[in-house]
Amino acid sequence: MNRAIRLIRRRAISSIPVLLIVIVLTFLLLESASGDAVDAYLLSIGGGDATVAQSLRQAYGLDQSMLARLWLYFSSLVTFDLGWSVAFGRPVLDLIFERLPNTLLLMGSATALSFGFGSALGILAGAKPESIRDRVLSTGSLILYAIPSFWLGLVLSIVFAVQLRWLPTSGIETIASGKAGFARALDIAKHLVLPVGALALIYMALFLRVMRSGMAEAWALDFVLFARSKGLSRSRIVLRHVARNALLPLVTMLGLQSAAMLGGSVVIESIFAIPGFGRLAQEAVSGRDAPLLMGIIVVSAVLVICVNLLVDLVYAALDPRVGASEPNT
Amino acid sequence: MTIATLSRRTLLQAGGTLLASTALPTFAIAQGAGNRLIVAADSEPKNLNPAIVASNGVFFSASKVVEPLAEASFDGKDGLAPRLATSWEGSADGKSVTFKLREGVKWHDGKPFTSADVAYSALNIWKPLQNLGRLVFANLEAVDTPDATTAVFKFSKPTPLQLIRNALPVVSSVVPKHLYEGTDIATNPANVKLVGTGPFKLTEYKPGEYYRLTRNADYWGKGEPKLDEIIFRVLPDRAGAGAALEAEEIQLAAFSAVPLTDLARISKVPGIKVISKGYEALTYQLVVEINHRRKELADVKVRQAIAHAIDKKFVVDTIFLGYAAASTGPVPKNAPEFYDASVPTYAFDTAKANALLDEAGYKKGANGTRFSLKLRPAPYFNETKQFGDYLRQALAAVGIDAQLINADSAAHQKAVYTDHDFDLAIGPPVFRGDPAISTTILVRSGIPAGVPFSNQGGYENKELDGIIAKAAETVDTAARTELYKQFQKIVATDLPLINVAEWGFITVARDTVQNVSNNPRWAVSNWSDTALKS
Amino acid sequence: MRLLRDLVRTPEGAIGLGILAALMLVALFAPVLSPGDPLRITGRALLPPFTDPAFPLGTDRLGRDVLAGILHGTHTSLAVGLAAALAAIAIGLCVGLTAGFAGGLVDEGLMRVVDAFQIVPSFLLALAFVSVIGASVPVVVLAIALGAWADPARLTRAQVLSIRERDYVASARVIGMHPAEIAFREILPNALPPVLALSAIIVAAAILTEAALSFLGLGDPNVVTWGSMIAEGRNILRSSPSLSIFPGIALVVTVVGVYLFSEGLTKALSSRRLEP
Repeated sequence: MNRAIRLIRRRAISSIPVLLIVIVLTFLLLESASGDAVDAYLLSIGGGDATVAQSLRQAYGLDQSMLARLWLYFSSLVTFDLGWSVAFGRPVLDLIFERLPNTLLLMGSATALSFGFGSALGILAGAKPESIRDRVLSTGSLILYAIPSFWLGLVLSIVFAVQLRWLPTSGIETIASGKAGFARALDIAKHLVLPVGALALIYMALFLRVMRSGMAEAWALDFVLFARSKGLSRSRIVLRHVARNALLPLVTMLGLQSAAMLGGSVVIESIFAIPGFGRLAQEAVSGRDAPLLMGIIVVSAVLVICVNLLVDLVYAALDPRVGASEPNT
Repeated sequence: MTIATLSRRTLLQAGGTLLASTALPTFAIAQGAGNRLIVAADSEPKNLNPAIVASNGVFFSASKVVEPLAEASFDGKDGLAPRLATSWEGSADGKSVTFKLREGVKWHDGKPFTSADVAYSALNIWKPLQNLGRLVFANLEAVDTPDATTAVFKFSKPTPLQLIRNALPVVSSVVPKHLYEGTDIATNPANVKLVGTGPFKLTEYKPGEYYRLTRNADYWGKGEPKLDEIIFRVLPDRAGAGAALEAEEIQLAAFSAVPLTDLARISKVPGIKVISKGYEALTYQLVVEINHRRKELADVKVRQAIAHAIDKKFVVDTIFLGYAAASTGPVPKNAPEFYDASVPTYAFDTAKANALLDEAGYKKGANGTRFSLKLRPAPYFNETKQFGDYLRQALAAVGIDAQLINADSAAHQKAVYTDHDFDLAIGPPVFRGDPAISTTILVRSGIPAGVPFSNQGGYENKELDGIIAKAAETVDTAARTELYKQFQKIVATDLPLINVAEWGFITVARDTVQNVSNNPRWAVSNWSDTALKS
Repeated sequence: MRLLRDLVRTPEGAIGLGILAALMLVALFAPVLSPGDPLRITGRALLPPFTDPAFPLGTDRLGRDVLAGILHGTHTSLAVGLAAALAAIAIGLCVGLTAGFAGGLVDEGLMRVVDAFQIVPSFLLALAFVSVIGASVPVVVLAIALGAWADPARLTRAQVLSIRERDYVASARVIGMHPAEIAFREILPNALPPVLALSAIIVAAAILTEAALSFLGLGDPNVVTWGSMIAEGRNILRSSPSLSIFPGIALVVTVVGVYLFSEGLTKALSSRRLEP
């Protein structure tokens, strides 16, 4: 257990400079933008004159120097204050906590499903490399993985929501339905089927491929050969030795993909009108809302760091080498 | 037993009132399930106060809550239907307008609506803060309130009643003085939690999901509103509205939320109707904005050549699929009061365009190109972007190489209206019933940089400026109209910008929605008579 | 050349190489196969596919030839994919080499920057970057490269660390070669192969990212791209599905080709490594 705590502490400390770099780079990026929050705001209200623009810039502190604003941001960040969203006129933290659960739900279920099905199918394919079953699964997953998620989302929504009407077209839940408890959970689940499906199918293909190739390699490893020579049953070898060994790169992949999945949800959220993180980011960019965009990027970076930490902990628990050296964990 | 009888009677009475008080809500809830209209909304304005932000995005939802003095009408006197004002009259010198206000109107918080609210809104919000009111009420000095239902607007210079009348539906949203007085208007919470006099109250806003408007039982209109609830469901993705309509998740999509290209198909779906009426007073214009600082474009021959290079028929038939009309000048045909057809026109004629360009001295180079231009289509509509794609090709056909620049709204805004970093831009200005509201500003000189949707192309024409200034103070309606006809002629001749097409939007609704599009600003009117047939 | 032979010997490599070669030819000869600007308006709008021999795949909303768009789109997609991967690899190699070779504080600092780029969702970064700077081909390429260089940098550094203590590097140091010269002449060639295998994955990801950006309206309007074709076809997905299906298929075929190629490459490399 001490190892875990040490790992967490080390990660927390090393991620501070990384977060600082992220913030400064995001800040510089927005600094180089053409048009600021006031331009975006004036546009949204259908115009205004130069004096209005000037007074708005003053009110938002946009007339101060870049360094002064960056310093101000850092000093409030220390107190976990992510600032005030110019475009929404609300605290950034509120906005983020309003949208984050939707994205986490979307990503979490997509990850769980794709990981579960991907590794199961990967075991099926990898149990007998180069068999017909393996070829079909490998080719299928390759094509699936090559399909752009937005395109898959569009097709799924047309077929299942509009043509067959089995599922709702968009949104996170039936609006203003007054549902609560289990009925509401069921409603949300129904709304999530298509977006989660679109994301999960693609990542399932990825996990399948990683699992399969990991298993294909594991078959050649000494201890597997040894197990086979001992005359252990094939299914036992597949599950106990080969699959277990191949699970490690899969877990690593999970950590690596967490950032990509967070990014991929932007497009899916836009197609399925889910008020999540990705859409908030789009709105922040189009509104030139620097505090909001920085808040989003900082929070998603923290999220990715946490997922990776979790993955490392799981990895440590799974790795037979580590497991052997630490009894009773 | 007196005590017992008494108590029994009180009990009965109490029971009676209890019954009476519960009867209504129960009824409303029972009705509510079937009497809720769900509408697609494509944006969530940050400031919902239509008195400050007079734009269609805000009006779409806010107009049901906050009402103007008068609304546009197909058959009313002066093209208006009374709302919070019941009559209006101008003085002969054009320096005052008297409004009689409706009696017995209450704000949603129960306070009475009076002339003080109108005076406060006009002097403290419309004139100093509102994007359009700034122009219309520029010379407003005072608003006298001799009694609770009379408001007399006093102007320092003659202000035409015609202008005020035409502007009323857009600029005169009245907000409650008692919530705004003594506060910072721009940051007042009531800008988001609207309080108005309209048929619906804004009761819930879930960012990213919906706005919920519920019936105002105390509304002044008899038997109105007919709906119990309106839900504006946020569907930022334009392709989503059609699917949601078909799946019966929503019942109405206005402002062409269903793309034009999908209309032919969706109109054949049983239970869905496509309506092109109801936007007559919200005409959008497809305009090529020109930067006259570019020496080639400062030459009127080049501008005429560009006008000749554009096939307006293609634009109307293919880009707008017939849901538009070709423009002749800066005033659309939808404004018959001002429209003048007898202006110079520019037929689609590539040969003539080439000849004009040769004449102007810009011969084709070895690669077939005369010169290059930077073309910035506004990103707000599919159609402006598509016209950008088309214009690039149309210009290539006459030897002008146009490089398209794809920028998002904020960057486009900054580049065109502040930095003047464009040669040609494609904009969708709105004609709002009177040229003085948002049209003359597109060609008038002397506007500082940074004003969106204004002349930022460096065009200057003293004669045109003179006519615009004169019309702004001409009280006589006929004389003023005549001035605007001259204005149209000059713009069509000198081409400070090129008007290509004008369009209204399309509403797609389920057949169950009744009384749709029954006034020229329907999508942004109060919907008090809109009903659902079960 | 031996690598190529090994590559073709794997079925994945052979098919992948075949697809990519065909696509390259299409990209190169697109101007011959369909001369002129593919964005030119040439026919009646919304001609269905397989009806008019002049427009085998029909026309789009404005009357542009869909086949011309697909052919020229190959060029854009491959060019963007390759350029982005090249840029990402170049940045990654430089940073990785510097960090691995210099060590110490420089290494520490550079790796924190690498971390920073790795924890920010790359699509979010690309989205913000393109919307803020403006959509044009070089900006899109740079935006994709910015989100992709961290992996090759990390890999290069790891390679350098494992190689730098080997004999031939040590002897180069002994004979007084300049550190930079050692880095480029001795370490780089040996660190390169695994990075190249990674690069195919980056190409595929770059093609998909470009399509997704175009789909969200962040493409260069002066060139035709499959993503923008899908985005435009999407509004009429119900009545003219072919407008988004054809570019979709082109996209999938290309990405599959790149993946197969990369798998073949990995296999060929590993078999080579196994041989003494």
